[in-house]
Amino acid sequence: MLFHTWTFAAFVAVALLGFFALRPTRFWLLWLFLASYVFYGCWNPYYLILILYSTTMDYNVVGFMDRCPRSGGHRFQFSHLRGTEISSPRLRLAYWGFIAAAMACLAASVVNFGNLRPMMLWLCLILSLMAMGVAFSSRKTWLVVSLINNLSLLAFFKYAGFFSEAINRLFARAGAPFQLPEAAALMPTGFEYLLPVGISFFMFQSMSYTIDFYRGEIDRERSFIRFATFVAFFPQLVAGPIERASHLLPQFHSRPQVTGPDLSEGLSLFLVGLFKKLALANYLSIYVERIYDDPSAHNAPALLLATFAFAWQIYFDFSGYTDMARGVARWFGFRLMLNFNHPYLAASLGEFWSRWHISLSTWFRDYVYIPLGGNRRGSWLTYRNLLITFVISGFWHGAAWTFLIWGALHGIGILLTRRLERADWYHTNLPKPIKQIAVFLFVSFAWIFFRADSLETAATIIKRIGTTQWTDPGCPGLMLALIGAVWGYQFLSESRYQGILQWPATRITLATGMIVYLLLFSSKGGEFIYFQF
Amino acid sequence: MTPIHTKPHSDTSPPRLTLGIREWLVTLLLVLPIVMFTPSLWKKFEQYSTPPDYRLPYELSKDYGLYERAMDRLQPTQIPMLGDSVVWGEYVSRDGTLSHFLNNLSDESDRYVNAGVNGLFPIALEGLIRQYGGAIHNRKVILHYNLLWMSSPEADLSSPKEQKFNHPRLVPQFTTKIPCYRASFNDRASIVVTREIPFFSWNGHIRNTYFEQKNLHSWTLADDGGYPPSYPNAMAAPWKQITFQIPGEPENDPGRGLNSPRHKAWSSTGVGTQQFEWVPPEQALQQQAFRHLVNLLCERGNDVFVIIGPFNTHIMAPENLSGFTAGLAAIRDWLDAQEIPNLPCATLESALYGDASHPLTEGYRQLASEIWSSSQFHDWLVRH
Repeated sequence: MLFHTWTFAAFVAVALLGFFALRPTRFWLLWLFLASYVFYGCWNPYYLILILYSTTMDYNVVGFMDRCPRSGGHRFQFSHLRGTEISSPRLRLAYWGFIAAAMACLAASVVNFGNLRPMMLWLCLILSLMAMGVAFSSRKTWLVVSLINNLSLLAFFKYAGFFSEAINRLFARAGAPFQLPEAAALMPTGFEYLLPVGISFFMFQSMSYTIDFYRGEIDRERSFIRFATFVAFFPQLVAGPIERASHLLPQFHSRPQVTGPDLSEGLSLFLVGLFKKLALANYLSIYVERIYDDPSAHNAPALLLATFAFAWQIYFDFSGYTDMARGVARWFGFRLMLNFNHPYLAASLGEFWSRWHISLSTWFRDYVYIPLGGNRRGSWLTYRNLLITFVISGFWHGAAWTFLIWGALHGIGILLTRRLERADWYHTNLPKPIKQIAVFLFVSFAWIFFRADSLETAATIIKRIGTTQWTDPGCPGLMLALIGAVWGYQFLSESRYQGILQWPATRITLATGMIVYLLLFSSKGGEFIYFQF
Repeated sequence: MTPIHTKPHSDTSPPRLTLGIREWLVTLLLVLPIVMFTPSLWKKFEQYSTPPDYRLPYELSKDYGLYERAMDRLQPTQIPMLGDSVVWGEYVSRDGTLSHFLNNLSDESDRYVNAGVNGLFPIALEGLIRQYGGAIHNRKVILHYNLLWMSSPEADLSSPKEQKFNHPRLVPQFTTKIPCYRASFNDRASIVVTREIPFFSWNGHIRNTYFEQKNLHSWTLADDGGYPPSYPNAMAAPWKQITFQIPGEPENDPGRGLNSPRHKAWSSTGVGTQQFEWVPPEQALQQQAFRHLVNLLCERGNDVFVIIGPFNTHIMAPENLSGFTAGLAAIRDWLDAQEIPNLPCATLESALYGDASHPLTEGYRQLASEIWSSSQFHDWLVRH
């Protein structure tokens, strides 16, 4: 159910009607929860099993974590596995329940009914870890349970194919007589091996809750429905922003006040997002697809323009989705975080990452970069941490070498420019527009790897940009004019003349122009690029 | 990702395009007149010529707004002939159609108007007249019925297997179940909105007429980057495409008319072995839609005359005739019961058909003579 469809319009109308009808009662939260699950179930009802499982696990993991002492828990001793150290009868019951369930899973894996062996073995591992969490009363063990649970699911659905293929290639080269099974073969009978839409988003959101609780930064959420609504809140469920529990969960605690400005500003955000998607991203995608689908047939100018066009396409596509998500959330009285802040106006790569996909950048900063040591242990370790963080970020986007290289390129770019950007002469002597253009060129170069379907294609594109003739790129003036207009708007909005954009006449003219343009020329259809992640 | 410059949980940002309630109201006041009045204003500036024997150009078959406009122009004495490509004239030029020969016989150059649309079928015809044919109320109307649409479950659209067909925007989206039509809710809703809001029909007209049925974005990129571009205006000035002149049919259409290679008899032997899977009349969706259409026209004050056929029975194996005759009898019985004058046309010579249902030029001439010589037709013509 895409935001720019009539299906979504009908869905959101019903959701809003029900929400406003139930707002005076205590059922408004349940309604939001149900609406979110209906929204997600519309993609594929099987996805609901996964999100419900992940939510239930993290909810309970934090529940168990809450019962553990903050000061570490017991030291590991085999005697604890007898369960006699567990003082609470309920926890003892849970402990033996986990042990029994783990044994049952082990037994089921022996029978392998309906190809359930892989799943049962995995459940056996998770349940055993849970039993250990109870036995040692250790918050860290519970954190490990949550991380293993979420990351292994993510790894299976997103990366298993990539890894099994890569390992099998190595086996084949080494002449090994065996091969790893395909990921699809590990699914229970009757279930298709599909990448669940938005899995990376909702799992990261759910994990942030357990990590923040472990760190003592947030309180435990006692209502399952509230926590499940936080994980599955439909406007941001499938492509973010990846919200933090400390920001969004408190908004579900009290009845949301929906004011006139919420509705009108939500509408404004939705209009801008719709324009970005239907008028800009979809238009650019036609040109980009044509060139990138057959790069050997195109010369340098077309390849360059298509690369720049993709830079804008992915920005319009993703930030358009986010704008619409934020707009829809505002209609219900909730505020989602800012996810894009004119990234192509960045004057350094560091600044680019503070403007691009902010919710993911800050997630990696808080849960990967800082735990690795951040910038507290000297230059070299800072560089190492940055590089690791960016490579993981690249890999988060998809299981392909192209994404890894894209992430690594950004990491290397930041390493190389970090000192430069701190130099006085760089700050004072180099005009800002030149820095902005340099950043845009670098980011666009990296996008080649992101967009190309293989390393070979990326190499072909780069090679042809450097070696082929300059011929007419066949790029419509209208497309260039639209990009120019947006860039101009963004420059103006951060310049000292930004007041012009706040004039009511300017805003009304722009809104009218966008609506009329959409009514006349919008390109139909097209999923959002980030849904695949 | 780096700790510099980040404001993780903020939803503040530089000035954004946000409108307050009053500003939204002003915007609405600006957009509404554009949406409401553009279609009618456009008609004043756009030249549309409908000379005698005019028919909707093949390329504009899906421009239903244009069809509506053509019907709006009918004079009180003119008689529109409604139907599919048999009325429109699949293999013939516009001076070889049924309406042309009827005009010749009546000594009036433009009394019978070709209001057929290529690719139409009764379900779509009902949708077309219901939605875009309001202008033809309270007048005499000739309606053609083609039994071809009952010749198989696929043609009848009653097959449960999903299939693509012409004019899906004219079929009922939510009210009547068409088993083979599996459009998503979104597509159906989009069709309904387009049908109900004239601005969107007008927008479709612009795409159909000036941008080869494409969205502007697709059109500017339609020539696949060839150089020189196939569409010279696509790169720099797409608006030059809008000439404010609706194109007519090409003077010499290579696909139609006496000199066209397509204008030839369906078979050199004239003997067919075709086995049609005739759908029983009481189950046929197309026949039900045709009955609804007749009722709709009557409700709108139209005086309807129905021409049935002429179907090319030569194409069928002899044992296959029974299905055809059952269908024919069923529709005749129903029309008689409704007191709708009707004329089942006699089968023409085999060589006068281009396929199962489309006559060639001489076929149309003979068909017109048959109709003209019919007393039922003349009684209908003179009655008030």
